[in-house]
Amino acid sequence: MVEFQRYKLENGLTVLLHQDKTTPMAVVNTLYDVGARDENEQKTGFAHLFEHLMFGGSINILEFDKELQKAGGESNAFTSNDITNYYETVPAQNIETALWLESDRMLSLAFTEKSLEVQRNVVIEEFKQRYLNQPYGDVWLELRPLAYEKHPYKWATIGKDISHIENATMSDVKSFFKKYYNPSNAILCISGNFDNSIIRKQVETYFGGIPGGLKPARINPQEPKQEEFKCKSIDRDVPANAFYYAFNMGPRKSSDYYLGDIMSDAVGKDSSSILNIALKKELELVTEISAFITGSLDDGLFIISGKLSEGISFEELDKQLWIELDKIKQTGVDAEKLIGIKNKISTAKAFQEQGLLNRSINLSFFELLGDANGINEEPLIYQKIETTDLIVFAKNTFVKTNCSLLKVCTNA
Amino acid sequence: MLDRNTAPAIQKIQKINFVEPQVLWINDSVKLLWMQDVPNETSRIDLYFNAGLRQDRNVIVSLCSSLLLSGTKQKSSTQIHEQIDQLGAYFDIGLSHEGVLISIFALKQNLLEAFCLIFDSIQEAIFPDKEIAEKVTEKRERFKISSAKVGFTAQRKFQEKIFFNTPYDELTQISDFDNISKKEIVDFHDKWIKKGLYKIAVVGNIDSKELETIRSRCKSTCITSPITYFTDFCNSPGVFHAEKKSAVQSAIRVGKTLFNKTHDDFFDFSILNTILGDYFGSRLMKNIREDKGYTYGIGSAIAETGGSGYFIIGSEVGTKHREASLDEIKKEIESLNTLSIGKSELGLVKNYLLGQMLKAADGPYAMMDLFLSVDAYSLDMEFYNRYIERIHQIHSDELKSISKKHLQWDSMSIVSAG
Repeated sequence: MVEFQRYKLENGLTVLLHQDKTTPMAVVNTLYDVGARDENEQKTGFAHLFEHLMFGGSINILEFDKELQKAGGESNAFTSNDITNYYETVPAQNIETALWLESDRMLSLAFTEKSLEVQRNVVIEEFKQRYLNQPYGDVWLELRPLAYEKHPYKWATIGKDISHIENATMSDVKSFFKKYYNPSNAILCISGNFDNSIIRKQVETYFGGIPGGLKPARINPQEPKQEEFKCKSIDRDVPANAFYYAFNMGPRKSSDYYLGDIMSDAVGKDSSSILNIALKKELELVTEISAFITGSLDDGLFIISGKLSEGISFEELDKQLWIELDKIKQTGVDAEKLIGIKNKISTAKAFQEQGLLNRSINLSFFELLGDANGINEEPLIYQKIETTDLIVFAKNTFVKTNCSLLKVCTNA
Repeated sequence: MLDRNTAPAIQKIQKINFVEPQVLWINDSVKLLWMQDVPNETSRIDLYFNAGLRQDRNVIVSLCSSLLLSGTKQKSSTQIHEQIDQLGAYFDIGLSHEGVLISIFALKQNLLEAFCLIFDSIQEAIFPDKEIAEKVTEKRERFKISSAKVGFTAQRKFQEKIFFNTPYDELTQISDFDNISKKEIVDFHDKWIKKGLYKIAVVGNIDSKELETIRSRCKSTCITSPITYFTDFCNSPGVFHAEKKSAVQSAIRVGKTLFNKTHDDFFDFSILNTILGDYFGSRLMKNIREDKGYTYGIGSAIAETGGSGYFIIGSEVGTKHREASLDEIKKEIESLNTLSIGKSELGLVKNYLLGQMLKAADGPYAMMDLFLSVDAYSLDMEFYNRYIERIHQIHSDELKSISKKHLQWDSMSIVSAG
């Protein structure tokens, strides 16, 4: 059980306090309800570029990291298609430093041209390192626009194209900050070894005076229901043919998320999973195969991906894959396997909650979903899932007209 | 009125309370470490085998370690994995030049059963032909994919220069995957897994009877005399570049033979390494990422081996910035050799290191990992108290002289690919 207190400041900032007297550390986690799905299609990659700029100094503080390091702390952040999340880990006695820093950059950034120019270059190098200079690195740049035609999930967090990052201007930066970086669009979660009444006063001191803005409305174009199978082939300088099947499924807050999570473990998590046994071990059609879900806040994807064995065609794989998926639609996942998956989920959860940072990020994320207490309620949702539920999920999801297939063909 | 221009007062970390695990000896050479005080249901066992890459051909060692759970006379690979799943357990197999580390993670009520299942399966592994063939194909494919990455190419070249003319210098070739006999794997297993267990570490609030079962189970597989490590490394200095026309980034690796925790200069060099490249505000990051924007990241580290160690700087930079990045790395090193580190920078790094030390000692798992990291060199937790003391005391002059002593550009192996 992860205990917490929740309240709102007058300016609209949601605050979560999670006390843990066993650690000498503290974590200040700030989640902003903004991600790549909120970007303009002509200016993609912006939420992530902006995350970099948040470390470039704020209105009253020249160097963010320097001040934190002086207090023995460190920080980082990540951006997804849905959210942008920042955290500081500090020795508990220096928690005030983290509050000072995080509140100042919520108040206003320094907005220097130098910071913008350098971070544009850094992000371009990140783009190259992760997406261009790796075999199969650009798969998600291709798969997203195949699976999503209207919804902004059709571009990756890093952006659609390097030119979008190159062309980002200071006025873009300022208006993005103004719109999304205000207290009513944020969740602040403080975890660790502190005194509740002292921390409440400090939060009020540092965050209470930040002017509240309006929580921006989100009107994303909805993805129309897919009516026919989509397929795309690309040629790349890669060692083996690779396949990516993307099936549409429901959003994070629907039961589809839990069913999809368990189903992806059953069909493709490790060497004892259904597709590994059938397609790799028995038929030797693939050298690797795995399954996972994207878990996005709007409608997500269930992905089955892998690499073909030498001499095996995409058609052979496709035929056998559908035979296996059809079996699951008939009989589901066997009872013993389902117990094993649930047991593994319980173990993984217990280990995750060991870490103070994980607890902070998860509390913030569940609060965004509607209630931080979801962190405590979720295990029961998994335990209640039965094989009949999985059959329904399989029948709805593993349908040809619900699927987009990306083939990466080796030109070597 | 809140003054946002002034930082809140900082409280320095003076002392950290390090907790040692219980030590039980299995024989004269093998310890069982136990950290019992865990405030939740989780638990972990680490098993260390003297079955590293240095003992045989890389391809044989690596196949052996990844096929340890591939089947016994009684059970197929799939059956073993399904039983592990039933217990909700996870495992991880890590291979290095000097050993294989098998870690088992489970809720404490399942730990003993998961351990027995995994331990027995490993000891009784029979390496079925089909499993070998499947793993060879998988590894060959992965090797091909890795070979397409500039980081992999640079890392191999670097290893060749760092481990020049030692038992650690073999580089796997694609043709190695065509030349495998089952007998080699089985012989390796007999010699180094069935008789090569050299340390066990348990974190978890299990009861002492369970621990006793683990101890007696392990006994017959333990080594009986201490392990010796190669000490005589000397890197081959110089500049080496592997061209790859299609690359949009170049990988850089720069480094030299150094030492491990047993060396008198270890503390001072660790602090110096932090300043140069081991935190977000390091000189390399500040200059090459935050000022020039040549890279997404650059860092430096001390990598230790049982009898020695080496220093390494690594980065991936835009191909057109390769020369400029190497120049800047050289400038940063020369600056450490000639200029004194300013008071505020040194003060910051001291505070940062103490904060990181506190974090590294947070909780039973972290504490066990700290202990393992010194116990590998026959040191104890007092090592960290001495380190903290050294962090408090060190002067910039001492850092300059340690830099001059160990960071001469001409002594470095400078490798790039892309």
